[in-house]
Amino acid sequence: MAMVDVDWITSTQVAIVAGKGGVGSSTVAAAYALAAARIGADVLFVSVDGRPGMGPLLGGRELDDREHILRKLKGAGQVRGRTIPADQAFGDYLELKGVGGVLRRAASAASLPMVAAATPGLEHLLVLGKIKELARDGAADLIVVDAPPAGHAAPFLRSATGLSDVVQSGPVREQAVEVDEMLRDPDRCRAMIVTLPEETPVTEAVELAVEFQRDIGLALLPVVANGCWPDRPGLEKSPAMAARSHKVKLSAATKAALASSAEFGWARLERQRHQLARLAAEIGEPMALLPRLPTPRLTLHQLGDLADALVEPLVDAEDLT
Amino acid sequence: MSASTDESLADVVAEANLLVTCGPGGVGKTTTAAALGLAAALAGRKVVVVTVDPARRLADALGLDEGAAADEPHHVADVAADSDGELWALMLDAASTFDRLVREQTTSRKQADAILQNPVYRAISGSLAGAQEYMAIERLHQLHTSGDWDLVIVDTPPSRHAIDLLEAPDRLIGFLGHPVYRALTAGQRAFAKVTNAAASMFLWAVRRLAGPQIVEDTVEFFRSLANIEPGLRRRAEEVSVLLRSDTASFVVVSSPRAEAIGEAEHLVGALRDGGFPFGGVVINLIHPVPEPIPVADRAELEGLEDGPLLDHVAWHDELTDLALAEREELAALADLAEDVPVIELPLMPVDVHDVDGLTDLAVRLSG
Repeated sequence: MAMVDVDWITSTQVAIVAGKGGVGSSTVAAAYALAAARIGADVLFVSVDGRPGMGPLLGGRELDDREHILRKLKGAGQVRGRTIPADQAFGDYLELKGVGGVLRRAASAASLPMVAAATPGLEHLLVLGKIKELARDGAADLIVVDAPPAGHAAPFLRSATGLSDVVQSGPVREQAVEVDEMLRDPDRCRAMIVTLPEETPVTEAVELAVEFQRDIGLALLPVVANGCWPDRPGLEKSPAMAARSHKVKLSAATKAALASSAEFGWARLERQRHQLARLAAEIGEPMALLPRLPTPRLTLHQLGDLADALVEPLVDAEDLT
Repeated sequence: MSASTDESLADVVAEANLLVTCGPGGVGKTTTAAALGLAAALAGRKVVVVTVDPARRLADALGLDEGAAADEPHHVADVAADSDGELWALMLDAASTFDRLVREQTTSRKQADAILQNPVYRAISGSLAGAQEYMAIERLHQLHTSGDWDLVIVDTPPSRHAIDLLEAPDRLIGFLGHPVYRALTAGQRAFAKVTNAAASMFLWAVRRLAGPQIVEDTVEFFRSLANIEPGLRRRAEEVSVLLRSDTASFVVVSSPRAEAIGEAEHLVGALRDGGFPFGGVVINLIHPVPEPIPVADRAELEGLEDGPLLDHVAWHDELTDLALAEREELAALADLAEDVPVIELPLMPVDVHDVDGLTDLAVRLSG
């Protein structure tokens, strides 16, 4: 078997997987967790917004706010999973700061919505703070964070820097500073940006990369282009020409059938090549290309195919431009 | 009412005064909203499409340049030139809409400035519980009542639960009715005299967590907000009635991916349960089904070696499998739609990014 450089998979403690809506970032986060477990890592999968279906996709039960083993791999690692609701993070945080039981329950139940309204980004910060605690306590070899979708990933991660503008002192500021330190340390935390080889998603991925690197100081893992059609250079030829080079004779009906798919396919592939080149040129990071699976509904088995594709050699940005 | 053939949103586009598109992210919702607007403009109406999408997808689709000022309608030139209709687009800026609301609801400039300059207000006006969604609705109300428009289309933020938007007025009212908020703002007493237990707890928690300065700012902010509360409350109730009136129509946009379909089904249920007028479903980005390869010719295509013909056959079969599986997924959503139109839009070989592409979509939507 060829040697493949998969060091990046466990190059950091906390991997935040993010993409705008509809690019499949949750699925990629799950595939990443599985790929890491396969090479022996003990992985904790954290869903920030508790999106349904992620636990079963990884082979276990639906995620909740307590940790469960989702999948144990024979002779390798495992994937555990949980969600982190803001109110629980708030309660844990108060406990950590030595606030007593009764008072803590009263405070977290009655006032989180109000405290959160008064201190914007607090809920996000509490969740990131909890992830930071888990990483510090060595809760797993790798924590894969399925970040909130659809334009909320950057505000989620910016909560630490944003809060320090409003909050000048106190434990929230300390927490913000500590989370900020974690986000800026590539050994502790990196982001995986997920996109599709299409125009708008690529534009958004480039914006996200700038926000992460420049505004937040967050280093990147390989950029993932999800849903890539396999390249089929033969589609450039007409079905008749293609048949000739195989010395096969096709009926008119078959030629028409192949032509009906090829016209659409070739245009999409041209588009895909163009967009991948643009993504590579503008972000300049190594990329992982994941296949478009011929199904609208992903199974456990197909998640394995995506995990396989993640450990393929990365594509250098230069090779695509 | 309508059969499965000749499905069209032509009636909705011609008759509604308010149109709300909702759906999960990444399904082409903004493009659909713009195409519906264009369809209405082509039918001779004066239309404004409001989007809150921070990625400015509508700007891309309509060729508006980046420099366009936020929160004001821009005329989309070169559109519907042959009809009496006009298409305008507006990028919503939640914070500046909130500013406008504060100015409208306060009685003096001093009162308004007290709120607008409060550091807590500055930080939260874009993120207050449900504020962004509420502001989309608020802007819709302003545009609707201005009398300048035949049709106002609002493209909602992507949401797993449409209720985020629909419940936003209730959430804001709920926030204003929170016992802690009430205790802090009641009677304009000095903050030291707040005696309500929950409010004391709140102040204690904020002070302990975030320091004393923010407590002062927060209390002051909540107090100044109390001045505009009756106005906010009244507006929220008006909007709630407006969205359920027969001048409004909701269109759910989805793609054929299982996840998106699941979310769209949830939205349809929420609209029905909430008593909102449900105008139709648009299923976007559907892969085309290729013509079938005759069974008799299959034997010839078995065991091909690598080469262009294998590329053709493999691609044909892959596309067929995907396109058929998608149609199974969306059958469930079509069933759920019952008597409202369901429009299926194919995935185009190239992305829609100009007025020609939008015009093509507009024609497909309104038949």
